[in-house]
Amino acid sequence: MIAKHDLTPVEPFVYEIGKHLRQDMRVPARIYADDYILEMALSDKSIEQLTNTATLPGVVKYALAMPDMHQGYGFPIGGVAAMVLPDGVISPGGVGYDINCGVRLLTCSIEVKAVRSHMDKLMTALFQNVPTGVGGEGDLRLSDKDLRTVLNKGAAWAVGRGLGTERDLEHTEDHGCMTAADASAVSARALERGREQVGTLGSGNHFLEVDEIVEVYDQEVAAAFGLVPGHVCVWVHCGSRGLGHQICTDAVSAMQRSMAKYNFRVPDRELVSAPFESPEGRQYFAAMCCAANYAWANRQAITHNVRKSFDQALAGVIQNRELLMLYDVCHNIAKVEHHVIDGHQVKLCVHRKGATRAFGPNLPEVPDPYRHLGQPVLIPGDMGTGSYVLVGTAKAMSDTFGSTCHGAGRVASRAKARQGMRGEDLRAELEHAGIVVRAGSLRGLAEESPDAYKDLDSVVNVVHQAGLALKVARTRPLGVIKG
Amino acid sequence: MNMPMPFEEVEHTADLALRVRGATLEQLFVHAAQGMFYLMHCAPTDNSHPIMHRITLEAPDIESLLVDWLNELLYLAERGQEHLAEYEIETMTPTSIVAVTCGWTHHSRQKVIKAATFWDLSIVQQDNYWETTITFDV
Repeated sequence: MIAKHDLTPVEPFVYEIGKHLRQDMRVPARIYADDYILEMALSDKSIEQLTNTATLPGVVKYALAMPDMHQGYGFPIGGVAAMVLPDGVISPGGVGYDINCGVRLLTCSIEVKAVRSHMDKLMTALFQNVPTGVGGEGDLRLSDKDLRTVLNKGAAWAVGRGLGTERDLEHTEDHGCMTAADASAVSARALERGREQVGTLGSGNHFLEVDEIVEVYDQEVAAAFGLVPGHVCVWVHCGSRGLGHQICTDAVSAMQRSMAKYNFRVPDRELVSAPFESPEGRQYFAAMCCAANYAWANRQAITHNVRKSFDQALAGVIQNRELLMLYDVCHNIAKVEHHVIDGHQVKLCVHRKGATRAFGPNLPEVPDPYRHLGQPVLIPGDMGTGSYVLVGTAKAMSDTFGSTCHGAGRVASRAKARQGMRGEDLRAELEHAGIVVRAGSLRGLAEESPDAYKDLDSVVNVVHQAGLALKVARTRPLGVIKG
Repeated sequence: MNMPMPFEEVEHTADLALRVRGATLEQLFVHAAQGMFYLMHCAPTDNSHPIMHRITLEAPDIESLLVDWLNELLYLAERGQEHLAEYEIETMTPTSIVAVTCGWTHHSRQKVIKAATFWDLSIVQQDNYWETTITFDV
C-alpha cells in the first residue's frame, strides 16, 4: 500500500513517486494535488493504478495523475501517460470503455433573467428532444453506409446532414474527426450496437445542462470565448455509447490473446497493451478513432436537438436564440501528438483517461479565434455546484503533455451516494435551489449527488495554481437533464 | 465452513464491484451472471417474452473466460433488452464454456454496465468454495 511518505513534493501542488518504489516502474509518477485531494487519493487504489501505468513499455517522463484522480480500472481516472513511438504501446485500458466521452459548451446572447420563468418549458423540450437513459435510442436510423461514414468522418457527417455548421466543426477538438479512423477495423457487433444510438445522451454521469455564467476570472479570454456573466450557456456531456464499449471490449479481449508474443508483462490485466505499430495496436487505434468520431457525431446530433428545443420553447420570448459552439473536448482518448522532451520533438501516443487536452497558445491544433490565447478547457462539475471554463497553457505543454483534469472526480461510491440521499429528495433539494431537474431514473440521479464528488473549486484551483490551465469563467446550473 | 452469500456488492469509488462465490467454478460463473443482472435492476415491460441462447466461448485462461462470459451476456442484454436469469452450464473447462441461458426480452434496466473488466481479477479457491471480485465499468 502506497503511503504519504512515499510521495515527495517537487513543486507546489506536485508530488512525485520515484521509480525506485517498484522494480517494474520505468518512469516516476507525478500527482497534482493539495492536501485535501492527496488524502482522498490515498484512500483508494488510484495511486497504485498510477504506478502500474508507469510500468508500460515506452512510457516516457512521468505517469501523471490530475487532481480529479480516483480509482478506475487499468489507468486511474485522471490518468495521463505518453508512450514513445514507434516502439511504445497503446493500451485500451488507458482509454476506457466510453471512448471519447467528452463535453461541449454552447454559448449565446440570451440573458438568464429573460428565460428564468421559461426554464420548465425549456427543460421539458430538451428532455423530449434528446433521448436519455439506459439503452436509449435516437430518431436517427443509420444504414450501413451512413454508419461507416459516421465512423470515418465524425461530426462532419452530422453537419453534412444539416445537424450543425462548419463553425461547429472548427470549434471541435480535431474538427470532430480523427483521420486515422478505419471503419473496417470495427467488429460487426460494435456496428450493431452503434446503429440506433447516434443523438442519445445515455445514462450514468452523462448530462445536459443549461447554466448561467456567474463569474469571469479573465476578461480578455472570456470575451474571446463568448462568455458573458448573466448569460445562458449549455453543456453536453456524453460519449460513444454501446459502440465504444464494444470496441474496447473487443480490443481488451484480443490483446489478452496476443500479448504473450510481444514479450512484456503488465501488473494489471486491464492494462493489456500492444506495440502501437503491431497489427493489434494498429487495429485498435483505427477502431478507437472510429468510436471517437462516433462520439463527436453523437454530440453534434444532440447539439442540433438542443438548438431545436431552444427554438420550440423560446420562440416569441427570445428573438436571438442562436447557440454558438465554444468548444468540444475529449476526456477518454489516445492520440498521436508531438511534444518536446529534453529539447527534442518526439512523436508520442498520449493516453488521457478522464483527462482533458489543454494545449497552450500559438499551436495549430487550437482553433483560429483562440490560437493566440490557448485551447478552451471545459471542466464540468456536479449538477448542484457548477462547472468551469479554463484555458490551456505552455506549462501544460512542458509538464503534462498538454493535459489537465476533466471534472471534479468521484469521492463516494454509487452505493454510498444512494444511502446518503434518495433521488426524489435530491431533486427537491436542487429545485429548492432553483435548478430544474429532468431525470430518466431517480436512482441514477441519487448516484450523481453533488456529495459523491470532490469539491470542484479545490480541483480546479490545483490545476490553476500549478499552471496547467488557467481559470476563465465559472457557470452554475439552471436546469439539469440526467439519463 | 459454509459458503457466504453467492454475490455481494463491494465498495468502488466510481464503478461497481461484485464479490462472487460458488461451490464449483460452474456455480461461480452462474452467480457472477446473476449478480451482474442484479446490479442492472431489470424490470419487465408489457412486450416481454421468453428467450433462450446457447453460448459457446473459448479463452486463454479462467479469468479471461469469466470476463468474456459476462461481456457476452451484456451484449445480449443490450441487444434485446434482455434479462437473462437462468443458466445451465453444459460443459466447462478453465478455457471453454458451453451454456444455455434463458430469460425474457424487453426488460427495462436502471443501470447500464459498459463492461466487465480485468482490474484486480483473480479467481481463488477458499476452503470449500471459489471466490472472485469483478469490477464493472458503469
